[in-house]
Amino acid sequence: MAETVEVTVQRYNPETDSAPRLQTYEVPYKDDWVVLDAILYIKDHLDATLSYRWSCRMGICGSCGMNVDGHPKLTCSAHLREYRRGFTVEPLSNFPVIRDLVVDIDDFMAKLKSVKPWIVRELEQPLGDGEYLQSNNQIDHYRQFSQCINCMLCYAACPVYGMEPEFLGPAAIALARRYNLDSRDEGTVERVNVLAASEGIWECSCIGECSVACPKGVDPAKAIQQTKFDTVNGAIMSTMLMPFGNRR
Amino acid sequence: MESYETVDTAVLVLGAGGAGLRAAIAAAESGARVTVVCKSLLGKAHTVMAEGGMAAALGNVAGQDSWEAHFADTMKGGKLLNDWRMAEIHAREAPERVLELERWGAVFDRTHEGLIHQRPFGAHTYPRLAHIGDRTGLELIRTLQDRLVHQAGIEVHMEVTVASLFAQDGRIAGALAYRRADGGLVLYRARAVLLATGGAGRVYRVTSNSWECTGDGTALAYRAGAELRDCEMVQFHPTGMVWPAGVRGILVTEGVRGEGGLLRNKDGERFMERYDPDRMELSSRDIVARAINSEVLAGRGSPHGGAYLDISHRKPDYIKRKLPSMYEQFLKLAKVDITKDPMEVAPTIHYYMGGVRVDPETGASSVAGLFAAGEVTGGLHGANRLGGNSLTDLLVFGKRAGEAAAEYSREHSRPARISKAEVGEAVESLVGPLGRPHGENPYRLQAELQDVCSRHAPIIRSESGLLEGLQQVLELRERARSAGTGGPTGRAFNPGWHTAQDLGQMLVNAEALFRSALKRKESRGAHARSDYPNPDPALANVNFVVREVEGAMSVRALVREQLPDALLAVINRSFEKYTPEEKE
Repeated sequence: MAETVEVTVQRYNPETDSAPRLQTYEVPYKDDWVVLDAILYIKDHLDATLSYRWSCRMGICGSCGMNVDGHPKLTCSAHLREYRRGFTVEPLSNFPVIRDLVVDIDDFMAKLKSVKPWIVRELEQPLGDGEYLQSNNQIDHYRQFSQCINCMLCYAACPVYGMEPEFLGPAAIALARRYNLDSRDEGTVERVNVLAASEGIWECSCIGECSVACPKGVDPAKAIQQTKFDTVNGAIMSTMLMPFGNRR
Repeated sequence: MESYETVDTAVLVLGAGGAGLRAAIAAAESGARVTVVCKSLLGKAHTVMAEGGMAAALGNVAGQDSWEAHFADTMKGGKLLNDWRMAEIHAREAPERVLELERWGAVFDRTHEGLIHQRPFGAHTYPRLAHIGDRTGLELIRTLQDRLVHQAGIEVHMEVTVASLFAQDGRIAGALAYRRADGGLVLYRARAVLLATGGAGRVYRVTSNSWECTGDGTALAYRAGAELRDCEMVQFHPTGMVWPAGVRGILVTEGVRGEGGLLRNKDGERFMERYDPDRMELSSRDIVARAINSEVLAGRGSPHGGAYLDISHRKPDYIKRKLPSMYEQFLKLAKVDITKDPMEVAPTIHYYMGGVRVDPETGASSVAGLFAAGEVTGGLHGANRLGGNSLTDLLVFGKRAGEAAAEYSREHSRPARISKAEVGEAVESLVGPLGRPHGENPYRLQAELQDVCSRHAPIIRSESGLLEGLQQVLELRERARSAGTGGPTGRAFNPGWHTAQDLGQMLVNAEALFRSALKRKESRGAHARSDYPNPDPALANVNFVVREVEGAMSVRALVREQLPDALLAVINRSFEKYTPEEKE
């Protein structure tokens, strides 16, 4: 008989269920499958009512984040062979559940905007003058912070966000950091007001769950630490007084 | 009757990939009130999967590059079937659009001088693709998304799918849509509608496209009375993953070959020598895809039915820096370390060159007030798209169409009327599947359609196969009329219901593909036929145009306007050859 694996899935239908419940399915086990393949199998062969998000299957769109055995994962990159003895799939923690494995992330979209994720400059060079020059070394200062795919795994992992929904959260702070470190940008002062005003940043206990959860090697915990440091040391002030180009 | 919410807007943009976002920004900057409707979450559109880069003659690496050289490459790559004016606009404006993206914060790999770096790519005479590693699409989407939230006057409705458009006396009036989250219906009344819905790669089984690429915009435009063109031109990307089965078809960037990757068959031979000795691995996609196909058919394929793509002669650090996603993708999914071992690759459906026929300057379709930009349109790429031209297509024509739609909405301050009866009909058809949960299973119909296209409109086509395919598509269309949901009847996040909707759009795309492919009795670009293996000079200046005539799909041959002498001279010019300096 073909090998199988037991997959327990949290189900919730707002039209009929008063609370989420768990349902278990028997899914074929294949060594080269990922968790997303098992979920697709359930929908295609066992239960067409199962709802979830996915898109690219290659870990770049950030749609298929779910809790697998309690840990936030991109299900297109989580291999079945690591869950040989069966596993449980639940929606990402810390977000309202819309249905089954689908969560509401509207809150993040608002936070995203508040950190001004674009290049802020006093004077914009006309396009005819060509690009702002930047070296690969300068990019290395913020490269990792620019790899975020907005998959929300860090928010699901963050104990502070869980208790304090006002907290800007790991990805938004990492994004702010990405622009603050960008040699083309002059918007640090504008952003720090938002960052410092976010109560949560001081409550972050730096256990670094967000950085562990990140599937793209972004280190939001570091961004938060650096932001605290800058704020406390008034480094921001000196940045404001220094002309563009002097703070590589 | 079903209830629905009504939303009034000046410009309704369908789709939030690169074209939709760029168009929305342009329309809002022009002062229009914009509503963007997208099938998935903001930032997750298919554009995010683009890897290799965006083509623009910046001349940062090869100083001798020019818009003329880019134009000539695009036209030759498209076997001159392109709309030449679109190709000219694209080549001229692409550099400015890339610089603008950089202004907004996009990260690019840089040259030693700090300029935007450009990598070589198939059939581009010069290194031309601005890129960041192999995740250029992500950067493009992220930058546009962040710019969009910055721009006042744009509202985004996420996870909303448009099911039909309304037109009154040849003028667009609005759209009917449903929200995935709760299944609620929304009637959008708009003065202008802009389609930026992407391609229809999902009509095939093995594709690099995400689930969203079901050709919605093409089908919506067709039903609203617009014309489509070049629907037979479907691009097979030469290099998709072949195994594991779960990821078959996902993209292996052309950047691998751009960075020096070599193609070999199972005997270790660099077989491109026999197909295009001058350009070898950097030949155009149609040629490389057919070459791999031929090698497999001749019994010289790799164990999983593909070819080997090898970059391991490059230094491991270089590979990890220039192709980080590929490195990770193969290591994680296939347990192959590409710094040491070759990848196995095979052609995968990648791009629809055909689509809505538009005015090159404005993206206006033949229906007044209906605009389109990006992959949903046809024309720029002719019979074969060059890598990197898609991302700049989105930027150049997204901006133009956005501005034109805003202008149209200004000139037509009152929306066209939408008849209650038409809305009623559209609603009934939209909710139909919910009333017959155990009607034809939509997943099964979709899978059958994918099999039909894969089998009967493959990389090499024939009259008998195409006829058989068309027949089966028409049968599926009949069965789809009684499609259900596969069981569930709830409104909220009902994937079976959504699939039934997508299916209707996919069927229009498939029918247009087969009907157009039957008409083109020759081989040209992406359209290759075993029964007509050569190009027919009589079809060199002909495009096939599809439209609905009295409820049925008609295809007519349209003779293209003659290329102006000046542009013809550009195509025939011989451009200085580029010799790269080896540096790592």
